Amino acid sequence: MTDATAASAAAASWESKVEKLGVGFPLRRFRLRDMSDDELLACSQAMSIGLSLEEMQAARDHFLGRDGEDDPTDVELEALGQAWSEHCCYKSSKPVLKANVYGIAEDKIAAREDAGIVEFDDEHYYAVGLESHNHPSAIEPYGGAATGVGGILRDVVCMGAQPVALVDPLFFGPLDMKNADLPPGVKHPRFLLDGVISGIRDYGNRVGIPTVAGGITFHEGYTGNCLVNVGCIGVVRKDELVHSKAGGVGDVFVYLGNPTGRDGIHGVAFASEELSEESEDASRSAVQVGDAILKEPLMHVTLEVIREGLTTGCKDFGGGGLSCVAGELAYDAGYGCHIELEKIPTKVPGMAPWEIWVSESQERMMVTAKAENVERILQIAAKWDVPAVVCGTVIEEKVNHVTFHDETVLRLDLEFSTGGPVYDRPCAVRTVEPEPTPELPVPEDMEEVLRWMLRHSSVMSKEWVVRQYDHEVRANTVLKPFQGALGSEGPGDAAVLKPLDASDRGLALCSDVNPYLTERDPYWGSASAVDETVRNLAAVGARLSSLCDNLNFGNPQKPERMWELYEATRGLGDVARALDVPFSSGNVSLYNETPTRPIPPTPTVMGVGILSHYKHATTLDLKAAGNRLYLLGETGDEFGGSLYLRYHDAEGGSVPRTDAKVLADSAEAVVSAIEAGTVRAAHDLSEGGLAVALAEMCFASGGLGAHVHADALHEDPVVALFSESNTRWLLEVPEDRAADFEAAMAPVADRLRHVGSVTDDGRVRIRTGETYAVDADAASLREEWANALPRLMGVEA
Amino acid sequence: MNKSDIKWAVLRIEGTNSEDESAQVMREIGVQSEIVHLKQFTGHDVADHERRNLADYDGLWIAGGFSAGDYIRAGAILAARVKSRLGNDLSEFVEAGKPVLGICNGFQILVETGLLPNLEPGQAYTQAPTAALHLNDCGHYECRPSLLRHVNRGNCKFTTGIPHDEVRTVISSHAEGKFILADDRDYERLVDQDQVVFTYTDPDGSDDPAYPWSPNGAAHAIAGVCNPEGTVFGMMPHPERVFYRRNHPDWTRTGLDAGLGFDVGDGRAVFESIVDYQVKRL
Repeated sequence: MTDATAASAAAASWESKVEKLGVGFPLRRFRLRDMSDDELLACSQAMSIGLSLEEMQAARDHFLGRDGEDDPTDVELEALGQAWSEHCCYKSSKPVLKANVYGIAEDKIAAREDAGIVEFDDEHYYAVGLESHNHPSAIEPYGGAATGVGGILRDVVCMGAQPVALVDPLFFGPLDMKNADLPPGVKHPRFLLDGVISGIRDYGNRVGIPTVAGGITFHEGYTGNCLVNVGCIGVVRKDELVHSKAGGVGDVFVYLGNPTGRDGIHGVAFASEELSEESEDASRSAVQVGDAILKEPLMHVTLEVIREGLTTGCKDFGGGGLSCVAGELAYDAGYGCHIELEKIPTKVPGMAPWEIWVSESQERMMVTAKAENVERILQIAAKWDVPAVVCGTVIEEKVNHVTFHDETVLRLDLEFSTGGPVYDRPCAVRTVEPEPTPELPVPEDMEEVLRWMLRHSSVMSKEWVVRQYDHEVRANTVLKPFQGALGSEGPGDAAVLKPLDASDRGLALCSDVNPYLTERDPYWGSASAVDETVRNLAAVGARLSSLCDNLNFGNPQKPERMWELYEATRGLGDVARALDVPFSSGNVSLYNETPTRPIPPTPTVMGVGILSHYKHATTLDLKAAGNRLYLLGETGDEFGGSLYLRYHDAEGGSVPRTDAKVLADSAEAVVSAIEAGTVRAAHDLSEGGLAVALAEMCFASGGLGAHVHADALHEDPVVALFSESNTRWLLEVPEDRAADFEAAMAPVADRLRHVGSVTDDGRVRIRTGETYAVDADAASLREEWANALPRLMGVEA
Repeated sequence: MNKSDIKWAVLRIEGTNSEDESAQVMREIGVQSEIVHLKQFTGHDVADHERRNLADYDGLWIAGGFSAGDYIRAGAILAARVKSRLGNDLSEFVEAGKPVLGICNGFQILVETGLLPNLEPGQAYTQAPTAALHLNDCGHYECRPSLLRHVNRGNCKFTTGIPHDEVRTVISSHAEGKFILADDRDYERLVDQDQVVFTYTDPDGSDDPAYPWSPNGAAHAIAGVCNPEGTVFGMMPHPERVFYRRNHPDWTRTGLDAGLGFDVGDGRAVFESIVDYQVKRL
């Protein structure tokens, strides 16, 4: 037989090695030991559990060697498929993460469970998480995005923390793409964007947690596989922190929330494979259905039972469902669990035990508690009309033991099922050498280049989207996503919250990654993402406290993709290590790939910063005519992946580099100068360089202008105006504070230049040599910037 | 009445989501405030120690949010629950002259229950709603600062601390905020009885501002109204979100003291006014 015919024979014959057990409900036993290799693989594929041949063999051998039945039930096999998925056990990424980002400044992390826990002040921690919901959003953008928000909220709540903000970095294909250019089975980016933001809006607004930061990035590489990353941060009193593990033997499991349904079955397996033309039909059931108005009371119930001291542990149902939650709560405490599956409330009658066990239905939480506290927990749940049932107990033996109407349907050794496989996957190294910027015609009209940049999807205002999110609820938001004079706001560098009534400390949030840099050079592109995070936070007056990384990459079984993952994490880790700042939370999303292409490497970085006092919060808009403008940082000929090269439709150049020592010193100087009260406005330089940053500072002021001499930055006007070199800020300083400002900036004085001043004429003027490269009305520049997205979405006023 | 003896209840059910900051600003003014679930008033599914009686409170605030999801008309579900479970208690509460405040979703609920605009002096509420808060003209939820002109001539007990005709910045944050009267001929009487409290305006001071300064397209640019007695008040924008100057969208331009005191925001006067009224009159 040829391989192909053997495989097709196996596709039919494996089923004869599965027996239905006469137990009064659907339960099957898989005689793996009788299956050939082809049959093992066919079985895994037909059941959509995503296990490779080697993994199926390991499963077979384990069951043969255990006490009890020699073959697994469907519940056991499904549970293994889930536990060993890329999504749950990080089998491809773990060695890379270990080498590059684990173990950095670990002493600053108080705990790392469902969310990362870091000190906010003497009495409080913040709890932070960042996750992806990419594949579900590509298939069903509204539900996929909504449940992404729901999932990250639960991660924070289950630590006992009150969520205070959401952050949404989103990535789509070009909005102006022609329908004819869409690959088969792919939805138009406009449809996906509209669905995703509606999902975030309708869910995030209803649960009452403000969405304060994020970003929308457009790149052809996301056309077939959009990315929806969602971050959440909460605060918790140190003595109310709850761990994701049970207290002791005899504790009972209390299931809270939504009944379990058939939605979200095989979600983690779906997240761990490439998308294809058939994904829409084949994987629709893997997308969960969110319910904000069950989530909102579920958060209240969870926090109330925790605050009343009724629980010993708490964990949310995420990818992996009951199977992962029950086992991990028990196993992380050194115990096992007995779950009575028939007690779990279901959305529909007749669900098979395996479906209940692996379903990833939303809006569910599990707590463990001493038996005497159960009655009060059930009462609090009843007040909020949240379903709640006792469904099991913590046992001494380290096994998951699951019964359904007294019949054992699963008995899995927890050490075996949680100790999934780890692969050291090969990398195909691509050498990235610094390249000179290509020779390009010098634009005759620099102002036209600036206008093009302001209209470009990378820079254009995302206000039409952002205003659909409630960024004010909880009344803690001190700096909003859009900042400046009423009605002419510009894009803020980071949001600032004052999360505690009793503390004046501010919490700053931002997220960054530029795929045009990372696709060209994953190492320096990723280092640049950290650099941009640091400068965004410093611009609002915040010191970086911790980073979160959401690693969105292609298929790790392809060595080119694996190399991108390795290089990107190396770039993130090298800068973070030099800054001595930890990664408090992270998530890996692989297989973001379609038959046409992978996504560009996308290590989304979310930064959490702390302001010593909220009053120091600083915005980008210019404040008063006559003030000085300073530029901090060196401007170099670094155009790799830049907006300027995209203007020319050209390739080449070197991706901007960063020196972590200089970055740390510069950021500290900026924050110190802000704290000394010498800085009225601050803005970092990123895409579009000085020209774009200065235009934004002017138009956000609602009437002021600026006069800047660019010659001091670089002899080449194009470099001076449009270079995207890292570690740079524009700072506005009152004339009478200039001496104090310069004193605060002394450690980086060699990189500081007084480049111009604020004017009252509302014009953006950049002088190079004897002429003005740009001399434009700021308000008209704002029009270009503000109208671009409504025009692309067809919703122009 | 002593300020510190005054007790406010902030009502919530599932989906109410501005209750924390609402209760907090009342405490900041110096009165007691407590977040109370509707079931604590009705006694269902709660422990004895959690039961509450509306009559024990001096003020009721129905906070913002998306009560019960607002999956049908905004506020309709909570309004129906309040009317059926708490109707008599609420009538007595209003008839006793105790203040009721509805912000955003709370305003929608007060309109749904007939507590607002309610043109008949002396009755707590109308049997059927006489106005609606319709979907914004832009067709979806939006969060943005609005400029509100205080047009009330002294009837509304919640705004006595704000000079007539003064413009204040308050945050709009809603999908359904377009105020429409069932019969627009009622508008004249609403004005005559001094029941219009805030209208939307723009930086030029227009009486008929265009989007986005009118965030929803409300008739007569109405942002907030009160009952004939001025003790029941509802508005779409959120004064509790500008209680402090630091929450103003442009505070980094004006400084934390913009003329009202250090870190005092434009919304604070609403809460000070009503508590002042309670201290003097109750």
